[in-house]
Amino acid sequence: MRRFALVFSWMFVAMSFGSVATGAEVAPSATPSVDTLVKTLNPDIFALDANQRPVHAITNVFTSPASDIARDVASNNWYNLAIYLPFLILPQLVLLFAIYRFRDRKDGRKPATFTGNHTLEIVWTAIPCLALLAVVVPAWKLLWKMELPPAGIERAVVVEVRGKEFAWDYKYQADNLSIGQDVAGIQEPLVLEKDRPAILNMTSNDVNHAWWVPSFGVKKDVIIGRYTNVWFTPDTLGVFKGQCAELCGQGHGIMWISSVVVDSEMFKTYRELLRHRNDTVKIWNLLAPAAVADDKELESQVAKYLEKGRGAGRVLALKYWIATNYASIARRHQPDLTSAQVLERGVARRAQLDAVLARSLSAN
Amino acid sequence: MSAPAVMPPIKRYTGVMDWLTTVDHKKIGLMYFWFVLIMGLVGGALAGMIRIQLATPGAVWDAVQAAQLAGEQLPFNLYSEDRHFFNQIVTMHASVMIFFVIIPGLIAFANYIVPLMIGARDMAFPKMNAFGFWLLIPSAILMMTSFWVQGGAAATGWTAYPPLSLKGAGINPGQDMWIMGVHLAGLSSILAAINFIVTITNMRAPGMGWMKMPLFVWATFFTSIIQLLATPVLAAAVTMVLMDRNFGTTFCDAMKGGDPVLYQHIFWTYSHPAVYIMVLPAFGAISHIIAAFSHKKTFGYLGMVVAIGSITALGFVVWAHHMFTVGMPTGLQAYFMYATLLIGVPTGIKVFSWIATMWGGTLRFTAPMLCGIGFVSLFTIGGFGGLILAMVPTDQSLHDTYFVVGHFHMVLVGGSVLALFGMTYYWWPKMTGRMLSETTSKWVFWLMFWGTMITFMTMHLTGAAGMARRVPVYYADFKILNHITTFGYALTALSSLILFVQLLLSYRRPKITEDDPWKINDVQQSFEWATSSPPPVYNFATVPPIPVADQH
Repeated sequence: MRRFALVFSWMFVAMSFGSVATGAEVAPSATPSVDTLVKTLNPDIFALDANQRPVHAITNVFTSPASDIARDVASNNWYNLAIYLPFLILPQLVLLFAIYRFRDRKDGRKPATFTGNHTLEIVWTAIPCLALLAVVVPAWKLLWKMELPPAGIERAVVVEVRGKEFAWDYKYQADNLSIGQDVAGIQEPLVLEKDRPAILNMTSNDVNHAWWVPSFGVKKDVIIGRYTNVWFTPDTLGVFKGQCAELCGQGHGIMWISSVVVDSEMFKTYRELLRHRNDTVKIWNLLAPAAVADDKELESQVAKYLEKGRGAGRVLALKYWIATNYASIARRHQPDLTSAQVLERGVARRAQLDAVLARSLSAN
Repeated sequence: MSAPAVMPPIKRYTGVMDWLTTVDHKKIGLMYFWFVLIMGLVGGALAGMIRIQLATPGAVWDAVQAAQLAGEQLPFNLYSEDRHFFNQIVTMHASVMIFFVIIPGLIAFANYIVPLMIGARDMAFPKMNAFGFWLLIPSAILMMTSFWVQGGAAATGWTAYPPLSLKGAGINPGQDMWIMGVHLAGLSSILAAINFIVTITNMRAPGMGWMKMPLFVWATFFTSIIQLLATPVLAAAVTMVLMDRNFGTTFCDAMKGGDPVLYQHIFWTYSHPAVYIMVLPAFGAISHIIAAFSHKKTFGYLGMVVAIGSITALGFVVWAHHMFTVGMPTGLQAYFMYATLLIGVPTGIKVFSWIATMWGGTLRFTAPMLCGIGFVSLFTIGGFGGLILAMVPTDQSLHDTYFVVGHFHMVLVGGSVLALFGMTYYWWPKMTGRMLSETTSKWVFWLMFWGTMITFMTMHLTGAAGMARRVPVYYADFKILNHITTFGYALTALSSLILFVQLLLSYRRPKITEDDPWKINDVQQSFEWATSSPPPVYNFATVPPIPVADQH
């Protein structure tokens, strides 16, 4: 049935426009390099390839569902379409036939005089009623599934989402880790774990917004003064684009959303990185493109950073945040630097940091 | 039939003063009509500004910014520096098209044709009729001039959801002017509705029982009931925003104990029935057009009346399907899903009956008939999108995307506007006494048909692929689809311009002398074709001269 619907449905043609690959999948690896981490966890959703096509194509719920809910929504929709389509196609065909068959050929044919047919009228009232029953029952079941808490709620990733003009703040409620806007003011992606339910509890700081990533098959308004929530279990690795779906003011069009789905290993790494993020700010201030990057100052700050702990995760976090900040800044136009110059400076500053780090770590 | 000699002279003025002071339903109908044509061009121009902006992605916002900083010219990103202006245009396009084009457009024809159809000499309250029309002028002036006040026009979409619409209170009067405009347009609607209900109930020709009324009269009657009952609700909703903005109430302000979702419920309690205000008269008129040029009577008259009646009733109890993503109780969502789907049944009956009307007839493909058939075809497609959107699980993906935009434009442009074109071609000879060129009219139809098809089918696909509505920039993924949509818009714009010029020039064409230029009234037996073209002042000197036809 699903294949039937696929073949005959005009929606299929439609959505294949936006359904190329779902972005690079990341193989699990014990110690991913800093560059791999940046590429995975901070993808540029606007990047275009040499042919001016998006590197991370947008995916949608109908042709490339990426969560259990989305898969249910898609198959429910194909089922509905299979029932609906005859009601679209048959009248059009009969209409075309009537146009051809009953055109006035000026041959003196007298028009028919009937003005009703009770049997026919009862039949074409009853059949749509039955069709409605056939579509409404499965939809009803799916609706309840979407509204009730997910199975495996105890291992769910619970995220508090706050919409504000014109960006999103996320907080993993289990360990109070926040995601928001990066140093360049660009919206950061919401990182989620594959095959683990994600529950979003959402509210707004100002006006109404709506959180929507098409491939996850959910959309919910984000309303000031109340909490709304959705859940879904992402089941595909990759980068997923979305955007705010409720008019919220002049920045509505640029209130982007993106989400990165990673494996459990990477998700653990990401949370480790987030945990140390605030501590890296002072060092970033020394290494930012416009900063002087004084070696002595840097050394003392790095030493302070390491005082709180010098595990591999903490060191990796420092390297990661400097690298990812450079990646973000390169995407945003700078008044006096081109993006190539920013990246070039980033390479130099990261080398400087690596040298200082190596010295500090070996000093003890 | 010529103007009767027995009528007393009723003209007090001539020329412009005659038009300004007239209470003749025919003149008022024509004034409505030209008002609608002009506002249609304004609304269409606003749509054009939207489509020009959306022709290119501008999606990589930073790239746009970078190009601007580098001094590069971006010819199509008209509003990239001021995205607020784009939102104003989106809001005004919707407001103009709804309040000043489609609703008064259908009232224009109802005003002209309904008294003729029931054999009345005028509306029940001729002065109120004129007042209703003249209210639209200040309403339109308020809305259109708000572009030039501080902060510009309302920029919150025609839905004006708070808390967004509460912003700028006391500083930017654009939103307040929009609300006052809506109030005046709503008052005009209510006055027209009362007038129609009273006229249709009391002023039918002797022998014309309820079940002998032409379908257009039935449609106007039910539309008036919706307008009378629903429009005050809209007034209540926007008054809440007005009070919150200016007088310190907190209906919608969540920070002070109000509830923004309450507004949405009240707003859609009007605005869902309103979509039937915008299409029911078209249903009625299309029945006449298809029957006339099939040279038959309408199939299933009783079923048609019951269908319009049940759409009217059901229209009042399905509003929250516009709000499936606000987080309503599950049971409510399930109810609204089912109630919404039910509307498909009477609508289906109407579509099947139109096709059955054509069955066995001798079809003449005149311009109004083409518009009628095009209406049936496009309205079915538009309604089909409605069935998809009614399903809550699917709607949570499609809500507020271009799929919705495509759906309601397919119904309103492919449905109501195409029907308005058809009604114009059908009744223009009666209203002005001048035939229009069939060749030009057919060009207008085909351009509109394919323009609508291309523009709004593509919008369905764009939305399903993941593009949100009311955005001035978008991901580069949607570039090609938006190119196609803008091309389709150009076709519809061209079609509308040709129609406008065609109607202007028609006043130079020779007058016709027949009462029934389409040669249809041997079967239709409708009063409007039994009087001169245009009809004399006061329409009928005596009781209409042909027997009241059986409709079924």
